Amino acid sequence: MKLSSKAREAIAGYIFAAPIIISILLFTIYPVFAGLYYSFTNYQPTEAQKFKMRFIPEEAMMFHTAVFPDEEDVSYEEIANFFNPVDFVLYDVGVNLNDKQIEAIRKYLDSERLIKDFLAGKLKEEMTVSKFMEKYMKAESNLFKRYIPDFLGLSNFKKMIKDQYFWISLKNAFVYSVIVVPVQTLLAILLAVAANMKIRGRGFFKAVFFIPSISSSAAISMIFWLIYSKPGVLNRLLGYFGMQPIDWLNNPNTALGAIMVLNIWTTAGYFMVTFLAGLQGIPGTIYEAAEIDGAKFWRRFWKITFPLLRPQILFVSIMGIIGCMQVFDQIYFLIKNMRNITISYYIYKNAFEYHNMGYASAIAMVLFLIILLITTLQRKFIKEEAYF
Amino acid sequence: MKKLLVLLVIFAFSVSALAVINIKISGWPGNPIEEGVIKSIVEKFNETHSDIQVEWTPIPGDFRQMIITQFSAGTAPDIFYVDTFWFEEMARQNMLLPLDLYIKRDNFDIDDFYPSLVQAFSYKGRIYGIPKDFSTLALYYNKEIFDKYGVEYPTSEDTWFDFLDKALQLKRKGFETPLVLAPDFNRLIPFVIAANGELVKGDLNTGLTEPNSRFAIQFYLDLVNKYKVAQEPANLGAGWIGEAFGKEAVAMAMTGPWTLGYLRGQYPDVVDKTGIVEMPHLINHATMVYTVSWSINRNTRNRDAAWEVVKFLTKEGQKMFVKGAGVLASRKSIAATDTDPMKEAFYAGAAYAIPWRVPTPSGIFSKANDQINSKLKDLFYDKISLEQALNEIQTNYMSWVSE
Repeated sequence: MKLSSKAREAIAGYIFAAPIIISILLFTIYPVFAGLYYSFTNYQPTEAQKFKMRFIPEEAMMFHTAVFPDEEDVSYEEIANFFNPVDFVLYDVGVNLNDKQIEAIRKYLDSERLIKDFLAGKLKEEMTVSKFMEKYMKAESNLFKRYIPDFLGLSNFKKMIKDQYFWISLKNAFVYSVIVVPVQTLLAILLAVAANMKIRGRGFFKAVFFIPSISSSAAISMIFWLIYSKPGVLNRLLGYFGMQPIDWLNNPNTALGAIMVLNIWTTAGYFMVTFLAGLQGIPGTIYEAAEIDGAKFWRRFWKITFPLLRPQILFVSIMGIIGCMQVFDQIYFLIKNMRNITISYYIYKNAFEYHNMGYASAIAMVLFLIILLITTLQRKFIKEEAYF
Repeated sequence: MKKLLVLLVIFAFSVSALAVINIKISGWPGNPIEEGVIKSIVEKFNETHSDIQVEWTPIPGDFRQMIITQFSAGTAPDIFYVDTFWFEEMARQNMLLPLDLYIKRDNFDIDDFYPSLVQAFSYKGRIYGIPKDFSTLALYYNKEIFDKYGVEYPTSEDTWFDFLDKALQLKRKGFETPLVLAPDFNRLIPFVIAANGELVKGDLNTGLTEPNSRFAIQFYLDLVNKYKVAQEPANLGAGWIGEAFGKEAVAMAMTGPWTLGYLRGQYPDVVDKTGIVEMPHLINHATMVYTVSWSINRNTRNRDAAWEVVKFLTKEGQKMFVKGAGVLASRKSIAATDTDPMKEAFYAGAAYAIPWRVPTPSGIFSKANDQINSKLKDLFYDKISLEQALNEIQTNYMSWVSE
């Protein structure tokens, strides 16, 4: 089949792009939809494989009945009297069940055949839970093929509204963003203007400002842990001005502020690069004209540089807000007090420590919607075109 | 001919590979000394067992979370550490293999283990792990500092008031911070129990608001805020209690045998000055016991082989561990042979120690633990009154420990 050269080119293009397309689909797009689904359920990751778990039915029966059929002679009636099929599956086979599955077991598990097979020594073969249920359920064995989490509707979201720590962590994330983004943006512009001036060693300064943003956040957190600790460098310096040492990270009043300073220092350099690029796009003639008209440095800065950098400012502030609302690394390493956590740390705690993956997914969805709302509003109100 | 030879070699190789069962065991990496001991235990097992080969693959970082994630994916190791604090959570999620059948079948000497430690890993009448060792809290003191200020050493018979008195004496004579204290709920527990308070009531609601518990919490906080004889490690320039003691920033610290190992490694000259006695008591003697078990992954493909490994790890392995790493033996028989005088107070504490495992309706205590620790931090810094903190705990406790 002869393909036109256009089609061939298109195919070649797709093949080249395939790796990144596949990895984005798998690791970004799919988890977003999976998260959306989980937010309406009580999904538990440890139960994902539960029906594929292999076990020896005879061992499970031995646990339940405390009888070793090879060694003792026990009658069917003796066991049938106290055999409890639901407890058997829950604790001895070892699978967590929802109400529907429990009902199905109560009605349809063929206890008689199971006990008789046990006594006859026919249960020695290792098999998966789903196969076992297929063998011994008279009906509805399809309920035990795959783990399907319970659908909870909106109850995760209702729970969120009443959750004190959801609001605290959300407020912290907001306060954090509202302060860090403007300061960071402004600092980045100033640094860019400084780096753009024809002074000696500006290559060195550019590098020095930029390096923190590519350094590992874990390493930076460790260094700042030392700086901020009570006998640390910061308190020593402030001691020369007569200030009492403060435990910056443990004191609930100063902890978040300390992290803000850390983050501004780290990411300002990154955005400086964006602004540097933007500055190149401003024709020098405008500055010359302004200088001739007698405008001083700060006048030129606020009236020319700042407005003409509008598209970059929009970009930087949107990226800044998205990043700041999701701040996690520094909180994970440095904040020990639950009062100062931000919302992504709370999501992490719920997902991995409190065993509430469904609830954590719901919070993550809400965070996504909030950030989406903010950035949409921002784009609407700050028009993107530059002033020329 | 050559092809046939190659095929034969490959066949022989794969047959022998199939014949050997590979068991992966995992835990968190300890200090270098512990690591070395574990490696030699694994070597010894591999030498003496031709059909089973063990591989030690430690997991750094958040161990509990890694194991749970790996289990969800079906790739968890065959045998792994389980800390009693989150044991019940794992048992409820059906991640651990019940061992009673194997114990019965092989006549395993489970009675040689301290009963409280075996209890720590039991759930619904089944045993889900064999305790590998244990730690209790005891009172470390710096003899040199006590001598310098002319104060009597603490003893194992001291009450809270003797303890407070000695600390106050040190302070009055000029030693700034006699004691290091952590705003950590599990360090508060021995005080609550010693005052005859309870952590939870019969209905699993919090017992911290009862008068005896309240008294104990008040005493603990007074050490920091009223008598000013104690500070938390961060305020002393230390990352944790052991470091504060090693740096000699304090004269007394309540911590476990792991600090001894740490001091021997990092501050060997302080070890010579260290005395260890049992924790001060009030109405009861009380201390914490922390223990970790070797548990078998319920989904393991090789149950019998894994059980063989666990038996070795908790017998020959434990002997090597106690000798080499200085931990406390969970087997009474091995504990009897452990004559290190510095460990006396820890073994003595085993008789009345409380396991670090608080019963809750959901099986998970970590959420309540985080919340209570947050309150403790606020209390240490006088941000809220004890009344307020207890009220908030009373109101919200059930929501932290349910579902």
